[in-house]
Amino acid sequence: MALYALRKLVFFIGAVFVASVAIFLLIRAAGGNVAAIVLGKDATADAINALATAYGLDRPLPVQYFDWILGMLQGDLGQSFRTKEAVADLVVGRLSVSIPLALSGLLLGLIIAIPVGTYAARNVGKPSGAVLALISQIGIAIPVFWAGILLSVLFGVRLGWLPTGGWVDWSQDWVGSIRSLVLPVLSLGLIMAAVLIRYVRSAVLDVMNQDYVRTARAVGMTRTQALLQVGLRNAALPIVTIVGLQIAELIGGTVIIEMVFSLPGLSRMILANVAAREVIVVQSTVMLIIVFVIFVNFVVDLLYGILDPRIRNAT
Amino acid sequence: MTVTAPAVAVPKRRRRLDLNASLVVGVVLTIGFLAIAIISFFWLPSNPNIPNIKARMMPPFSPDHWLGTDGLGRDIVAQLMVGARTSILVGAGGASIALVLGTITGLVAAAYGKFADEAISRGADILLSIPGMVTALVLAATMGSGAFTTILALSAFFTPSFTRVIRSAAMGVLQEDFITSAKLYGRGRLFILARHVIPNIAGVMIVQFTLYFAAGILTEAGLSYLGVGVTRPSISWGMMLNEAQQTVGISSPLAIWPGLAIVFVVLGLNLLGDGLRDVLDPKLKRRSA
Repeated sequence: MALYALRKLVFFIGAVFVASVAIFLLIRAAGGNVAAIVLGKDATADAINALATAYGLDRPLPVQYFDWILGMLQGDLGQSFRTKEAVADLVVGRLSVSIPLALSGLLLGLIIAIPVGTYAARNVGKPSGAVLALISQIGIAIPVFWAGILLSVLFGVRLGWLPTGGWVDWSQDWVGSIRSLVLPVLSLGLIMAAVLIRYVRSAVLDVMNQDYVRTARAVGMTRTQALLQVGLRNAALPIVTIVGLQIAELIGGTVIIEMVFSLPGLSRMILANVAAREVIVVQSTVMLIIVFVIFVNFVVDLLYGILDPRIRNAT
Repeated sequence: MTVTAPAVAVPKRRRRLDLNASLVVGVVLTIGFLAIAIISFFWLPSNPNIPNIKARMMPPFSPDHWLGTDGLGRDIVAQLMVGARTSILVGAGGASIALVLGTITGLVAAAYGKFADEAISRGADILLSIPGMVTALVLAATMGSGAFTTILALSAFFTPSFTRVIRSAAMGVLQEDFITSAKLYGRGRLFILARHVIPNIAGVMIVQFTLYFAAGILTEAGLSYLGVGVTRPSISWGMMLNEAQQTVGISSPLAIWPGLAIVFVVLGLNLLGDGLRDVLDPKLKRRSA
């Protein structure tokens, strides 16, 4: 297990390194002169040069890269060109919106998908299974932001039960915060569920065909007993992996849902800074998100190794 | 007491019926979508970009405007038709580039030794863990938004999935006996890849392309909704939803039509992809179920 964990750790560090180089190059190569981007089209050459010198943007690219990365490792994410605010401060304030939203959305998706997907697998070839498969297909085709719009028309505008957007801070009125999150979480969770149902269904289908399930049934368990007692634990493995892979999707969905419901989360901050051409803010924030996603996948891999000896012992 | 019956005893006939339904609905929806985009080049109800103050906010089913007009009096049907073009351009564009890059990298990983395989596969793993939506935001920040940037972003984060799928399909083919005999016959690696491997994985490639065409349309709509995708005079369904929410509030019918268009088209392509997978690659049938 130690060797397996070590291999995964090396991969984690390698992945973070490659991703950081990719983001850095993407911004420098695709964008060109950062100082010119920040100042916009009308800037004079003098102003551009002054800014470049002040922020060290005229140094060689490798030097700038290591400067940025070493800073990140010490918790210094850089600062905004205009407001001079530290990026770390900007980010932390936004997480109290984004993290509850993303986690509850994922949780809701799983709570729906695991029973429904299992039921669909049990009923393959029957009308009920086919209807569930169709519903899941339609759910996958619905853009998450349109789901948000529809839910907010129904529950916000027509019924008036919940706010259609906006945010109250947790410290002011936590009930209000939760009310603001209900519709966003519902949109995110329902669309996640549609995607996850398919994976759960095929994982359970796989397990149902395994010898140990047949053995369990041969010794007298009913289909449901066999599935719950031996099947589900084995189906859990691929489901854990899929959740790891879906984290990237989840973050994409969160970005968009925050916009639909005007929640002051991380993505609103990124978009505002994209519009303001705050290159460093965007670069560091995006890097943080990517490190988070790679880290989740690292943890998922470790879990997988703990759950399944065959995986950690494979060369 | 049917204790001995295998858990998934799917009657063959029903399975076939199922598969055909998916394919037929998929083909119908997709052809309708392509036809609307083609017709839009020859005929439009009116110019979708020119405001018409006299005809602002016409309700659906007006004589001159079948689905009404938006806050600036622009015809909804015309905008939807031109939006179909954008979906095809960006969705198919992104998926095509990913198909080409993914085929090259996937084949190299499968056929050019352990080191190439390890490097490419690990690289794909890393890229897969980068959230595409966020990468697209970075690109938009540095290159400006637009159809070209969107295609570039899509192809960047679709390619690793293509690499994975094509690599594993190609590895399967490379283990077949006829590959061994081609090698014994003295055929070079490139010849074998082009002549034997690619034709045998064409089914997988087509299916993958169709599914990612759909994913591309969804992502493009999302990016344009955020305002970092395509911009006028191009028209995107996502952009129309954004404009509907900004200008007239979400409860208007303007927020319905573009969403429905996206659902129909994405559903059609996904069903088409699933149906094709069952027809073209019987081995994958179970997984698609």
